[in-house]
Amino acid sequence: MARPLSFSNAAHLLRRAAARGRRKEAQQLAEMGLEPAVDFLLRDPAPAPSYRTAATRNERGQQHREISQLWLNHWLTTPTPAAERLVLFWHGHLTSEFRETMGAQGIDFWQQFATFRQLGYGPYGDLLKAIARNPVMLLYLNNAQSRKEHPNQNWARELLELYTLGPGHYTEQDILEAARAFTGWTVRLPGNQRPREASANLAFEFVFNRNWHDPGEKTFLGRRVRSGEEVLEILIEHPQTYLFVARKLLRFYLCPEPPEALVQEGARVFRAEGTRGFLRWLFTHEAFYSPAYRNALIKSPLEYLVGLWYAAGIERVNFEERPGRALYLSLAAMGQIPFDPPNVAGWDGGLAWLAESPFLTRLNLLAGFAGRERRLDLEVFRDNADGALSLVKPEAQLL
Amino acid sequence: MNRREFIQKSLLTLALGQGAPSLLSRTALAAQSKEKILVVVNLFGGNDQLNTLVPYRNELYYRLRPNIAIRREEVLDLGANGERLGLHPALRPLMQMWNNGELAVIPQVGYPNPNRSHFISTSIWHTADPSRRLETGWLGRWGDLQDDPFCDTFLGGATPQAQMGERRSAPAISSIDTFSIRLPRPFEEAFDREAQRVRSGTAEEVRRAMLSLRGALDKVGQLRLVRNQAQYPDNAFGRSMADIARMIAGGLGSSVYYTTLGGWDTHAGQPPRQAELLGYVAQALAAFRADLRAIGRDKDVMVMVFSEFGRQVAENASFGTDHGEGGLMLVLGGGIRGGLYGSEPNLEDLELNALKYQTDFRNVYATALQWIAANPQQVLGGDFQPLRLI
Repeated sequence: MARPLSFSNAAHLLRRAAARGRRKEAQQLAEMGLEPAVDFLLRDPAPAPSYRTAATRNERGQQHREISQLWLNHWLTTPTPAAERLVLFWHGHLTSEFRETMGAQGIDFWQQFATFRQLGYGPYGDLLKAIARNPVMLLYLNNAQSRKEHPNQNWARELLELYTLGPGHYTEQDILEAARAFTGWTVRLPGNQRPREASANLAFEFVFNRNWHDPGEKTFLGRRVRSGEEVLEILIEHPQTYLFVARKLLRFYLCPEPPEALVQEGARVFRAEGTRGFLRWLFTHEAFYSPAYRNALIKSPLEYLVGLWYAAGIERVNFEERPGRALYLSLAAMGQIPFDPPNVAGWDGGLAWLAESPFLTRLNLLAGFAGRERRLDLEVFRDNADGALSLVKPEAQLL
Repeated sequence: MNRREFIQKSLLTLALGQGAPSLLSRTALAAQSKEKILVVVNLFGGNDQLNTLVPYRNELYYRLRPNIAIRREEVLDLGANGERLGLHPALRPLMQMWNNGELAVIPQVGYPNPNRSHFISTSIWHTADPSRRLETGWLGRWGDLQDDPFCDTFLGGATPQAQMGERRSAPAISSIDTFSIRLPRPFEEAFDREAQRVRSGTAEEVRRAMLSLRGALDKVGQLRLVRNQAQYPDNAFGRSMADIARMIAGGLGSSVYYTTLGGWDTHAGQPPRQAELLGYVAQALAAFRADLRAIGRDKDVMVMVFSEFGRQVAENASFGTDHGEGGLMLVLGGGIRGGLYGSEPNLEDLELNALKYQTDFRNVYATALQWIAANPQQVLGGDFQPLRLI
């Protein structure tokens, strides 16, 4: 039998899981009861629209506006918004920067998001293996150009430091050895077309270039390996990977400094049951609803915008025309450009979102909502909402 | 009347006209009381020392970098004072300062047990603590001792760890011209009302951010009338340096300004990228220098440039370089004793393909702290002898 779920707890759950919601949806969740409500939120992602562009491969700015708009509009309209907040998590964890990945096109980034959507709820190892072969990642961290003569260490280093073990669990030598193992993991356009002549709708694909690969034996974390696959397997078997990523998930879904006991427990669930199992465990955990963890997070700019637009009944933005163009520019001013985290570690989050300039930008956006107060449904957007003026209260910034 | 006096006078006049004299006159006074100013520029990503300060008379350099070395004939010769080293051609705008003895180049700067992670090494530079026990920034600890929320300012979107103290952190201002509140009156009034109502937990932290924002709005708003006296390059770093000059000219009163330029992580395709970035730095710093001269402050301002590490010596197979250890610092300004502080790197004595560090960055920090009349020992927690740059 389902445990009861109050309206207030349902609003908290919806805000955390999906970063968007209205009064009626919270009521429906409350009527379902806790476990069915959580399962309802965590069901398989609805497919996102496909992306095609009229831009050329050089017109990357336009492509970036198009995929940003496509994603935010999808987040605003999808029946499975929790999957999109999880896409944001994976994007901030298994990072790629649009500006820094010159060869990759909008279509490549859009397909990377499709991978986050498709594998995001499953075992972490499956997602990691897919991302290790993802063309945007291979281009971003330069493994696409890594050859046995002098391997490029960028991907190997960040794989260990940011995507799996975290600092302190490997040596510089392990990085060198892993870099050797991944030589030859590169990309090409279908039919080996040349980028200069290809359409921007043609996506890169993974290819293993035997001539660039160093087939010799390597010693990685004390084990003898040869291939990149074996390096990934060792990392996927390593308990530290689950501790490291579970802690990050808790920071995203629970509070800035999760208690150690929850990290340990969460890591076990994450390893055994994948990300959906982890989120089901967390969202049905008593601690999740305790006052200590309610309103403990600060909305990121994208969460703030999606939540606010949805509360105002806006389900479509257009970044190509006014006033959408100004909103697009405000994403940079607020510090969160979709598809373009500030560096390979993703977004710092927390109080950094509320430094003077980014905070001011998000407040100034409220001017656009003056005059449409009656249509604002803020009960999920923030706890104890009482009219449009409550948008300037501190609580409006909390998730 | 020089530029600075003119601005102070016009700000005062303006303030009197608007009936808010106390704040502005304090601002103007602050400009006089804090003569010496430090500007810190953080090149995030790991700038490659060897192609910035080029050992162009060393054959080994060319052998280790067959594809990406700076060609001998392109290197800017530093004359006798530069020993056997020269500058990347994109740094030409800085040559006048070098020739005037106002540019110090410090090669192979680092710290014991170097760490090649961007984030760990950046944090070590920001906390000035290679043992990684401290969480506060070196300027944050200095800021904790000041009685002024604007004792230092960050130009950008999120205050770096370097400027985070126990009690306060530097305000983050991306740009003077966009820094104004544009809300309907009832919203703005509600904002100010709510900022006064104490809360608990994260909501209270948000409320403090609101108070801090309100303070910054009142103070930065007055700088919009200040104009630059030099032409800056039209990019984000150029605009940040231009705004720092306006903050100094307008009497914001900070002793420290801090800004960041990213993009230095050149694992692949390094030559065009690094050239572009070095060009940004040199053009903006040269404009900044000209601007300060025009307002008579160039002898009061020290600019210090650093990156979290240098890059490896032998190039990789993708026309780039991987994370290294010792890196290059620049210190410049009208009151600086320029020159080469250190020696040509030994390319035959490397640590896993990286330059070994020669100068501890905390010795350079000590010089910077000395410049703003701070106590280096108190801030750095150790006895680091300042370099004799002043």
